[in-house]
Amino acid sequence: MSKIEDALKKVGAGKTPRNGAPPDGQQRQLARVAQPNQTSTSLTQRANSRTEIARMVETSPISEAELARNKIIHSEMTDGRVLNAFRELRTKIVQKSLNGNGVIMVTGVSFGDGASFVARNLAAAFALDESKTALLLDCNFKHPQVSAGRTSDGKLGLTDYLESEEVPVDKIIHQAGIDRFRMIPSGAHCEVPAEYFTSVRMGKLLTQLKQRYPERYVILDTPPITESADATIVAAMCDHVLLVVPYGKVTPAQIEAAVKSIDKNKLLGMVFNNEPQLPSAGFWKSFWRRKSV
Amino acid sequence: MQLSYAQTISSILQEAFVYRKAVVGIFIAVNILAISSGVLWPPQYTSWSTIIVDEKNIIEPLMKGTAVTTDVTDRAKLAKEVIYGRKLMSQVAALPVWLSGDEHSAKEVDGLITKVIIPSTQITNVDKNLIRIQYTDTNAERAYSTTKKIAELFISESLAEKAKESQDAYDFISKQTEEYHEKLVNAEAQLKEFHSSNLDAQPGSEGLVGTRINSLEEKIEQTQNDLNEAETKKASLEKQLSGEAEVTTAFTREGQYRTRIGELQQQLDTLRLSYQDTYPDIVRLKHQIEDLREAIVTDQKERAQGKGRPLAANDEAMSVNPLFQELRRELSQTKTLVDTLTARLSDNRRLLTSATVRGRRVHDSEAALAELSRDYQVNRDLYQDLLKRRENARVSMNLDIANQGLTFKIHEPAMIPQYPSGPRFPHFVIGGFVFGILLPFGLLYVKQQIDPRLRMNTGLSDKLKLQVLAVIPHLANPAEERSMISSMRTLSLLVILDLGVVATVVALKSAGVI
Repeated sequence: MSKIEDALKKVGAGKTPRNGAPPDGQQRQLARVAQPNQTSTSLTQRANSRTEIARMVETSPISEAELARNKIIHSEMTDGRVLNAFRELRTKIVQKSLNGNGVIMVTGVSFGDGASFVARNLAAAFALDESKTALLLDCNFKHPQVSAGRTSDGKLGLTDYLESEEVPVDKIIHQAGIDRFRMIPSGAHCEVPAEYFTSVRMGKLLTQLKQRYPERYVILDTPPITESADATIVAAMCDHVLLVVPYGKVTPAQIEAAVKSIDKNKLLGMVFNNEPQLPSAGFWKSFWRRKSV
Repeated sequence: MQLSYAQTISSILQEAFVYRKAVVGIFIAVNILAISSGVLWPPQYTSWSTIIVDEKNIIEPLMKGTAVTTDVTDRAKLAKEVIYGRKLMSQVAALPVWLSGDEHSAKEVDGLITKVIIPSTQITNVDKNLIRIQYTDTNAERAYSTTKKIAELFISESLAEKAKESQDAYDFISKQTEEYHEKLVNAEAQLKEFHSSNLDAQPGSEGLVGTRINSLEEKIEQTQNDLNEAETKKASLEKQLSGEAEVTTAFTREGQYRTRIGELQQQLDTLRLSYQDTYPDIVRLKHQIEDLREAIVTDQKERAQGKGRPLAANDEAMSVNPLFQELRRELSQTKTLVDTLTARLSDNRRLLTSATVRGRRVHDSEAALAELSRDYQVNRDLYQDLLKRRENARVSMNLDIANQGLTFKIHEPAMIPQYPSGPRFPHFVIGGFVFGILLPFGLLYVKQQIDPRLRMNTGLSDKLKLQVLAVIPHLANPAEERSMISSMRTLSLLVILDLGVVATVVALKSAGVI
């Protein structure tokens, strides 16, 4: 069940429906213009990037309440602990991947460990930075996280792209309702042979996505590495891997097994997720206030 | 993974928040359980009495080696045996605090003893010589009177037991002494009878008889030798005598003449010692010798011519043979000697036979005497020993009768307990709170220790040498937050309710309502 998509849908219902993908189309054109110059004149490109990114505004932003409901961080959160944790994570990733435009794969140790939550919020954290853009790519075909059953609405996803030569990249990138945040749902096809990922088209897609914008961070939300062959294949294609370790659910041996199946050079590190928290001060305030009501 | 205390505590607190329902549930359950136990728990009153076992009294050094004081090793165990005994317990059960009235079935009494009194009684060795009897009851008065009774009965029972023990010992030894006395008297009688019937059987008579036999044998040997000697002598004499003539006969005159010449010559020699040759006697003798010589010559001539006179014996020529006479006398004497010796020999032989017979008899009686004497000796020794022992036993018995051997004294008498012992209501209340808090947290701690799954980021980076980039706290969406708030509210309400219940019960309890 895609929470973002739900949010988008609800938000979209109240506003004017989107007409195709004009913003992306514009961006794409801009990106194409920028591409040839990227290697030679990166400084110029970087100077331009701000303006380019600034143009990447959300046509239909979703409300804070929706974000909160879907467990997506935003800058005005009452409990700042999670927000700060993701900001910290973002900073560390930027430090580690010296070259921007990284393809970061977020994977877990087992199902239900919150890898999608981390991927989503990591993307959101990148998007919070006005100089960066984030693109979330859902690779959970069997258990789509970012989107589900969108194809009926004409929303194409990754599998559609890999399946058919006729689907252009533009068609699968969708707005997510957050500034500087784009997403690619998994698509309509649940059963996808692993060979799709090894195809040239997949590699091309990743390169394309990475280079569409300067300071773009492509985040892949993948199934647990130890339980899915797809994840292993995808890991070979991306630049960095982030391993999500849930609190109190996995043993060190499981983590070891997961770490072993990832290239050491690509493994950025681990994210310890879902640590139980005592309620924040804000919670207690609301607790007493609401109690008196 | 080693965690610091702060980490452990914060981790447990976090987990406690996750499992808050269980934590609060356990807390309330424990609390309610404790408070209800506290209400239902009857107050226990314990009364005790200590009994000092004094075995080192003044008598002991005085009687050392003479009287044996009965020893008690494991006093508490012994005391238990005595106290839990049917005899003592039935007396305790007969106390008015237990069974008032007259008629009670054996079953009822038995049930009371085994199910109520014995389980509540504790007997311990406080010290080597100090027994503590403790009795716990819900009724203070009953606890006191039961303890008192048990202690008193125990002492009287123990003393009686001890007195009985030493009395038994004395009786036994006394009986044995009597038996041996009888045996000894019998042995003495037998010995006496034997002595009177066997006069020979004197000490040393065997030796005397032996000496006698020896001397007799020696005598016989001697006599035999003498006899043999005498007989040889007799035979020899007889032989000699047979070759000797009773009388000697002069065969010629010449022999007579020569004999006469010899006699005359002898006279002549004697005279010549005193007289000169012209002395007439000498002359006469010379003439006589001359004449005889001439006669001899004449006789020789006649014999040569065969004209001699026949050798006829005549009285004149014959004379008694002196050797024969001598031999005859000797022989006669020897014969007498042989007869004497023969008689003595047979006499001695007879004596020897009788001595041998007596010796044999003495020997037999000697063996019988030895046996009788031995019996007597053994019996006498045993009897004397027993006699001594009996006196010791008598002293020991008197010691126990006078309660001097091993004394039991009530060191601390039983008191009516003023305050109940054991856990009281406040303990239950406080214990309920403490345990109610400790139990869930303890369980969480145990879970954390046992569960191998990772809980702390420190463990991650230590073990796998991997950097932990971030620790993402749990993020609750508004719905979750609402449910959390409502659950927290419910739980708070429950805790407050629980505290209210506890407070009410405490108030009621202190007011004496329940």
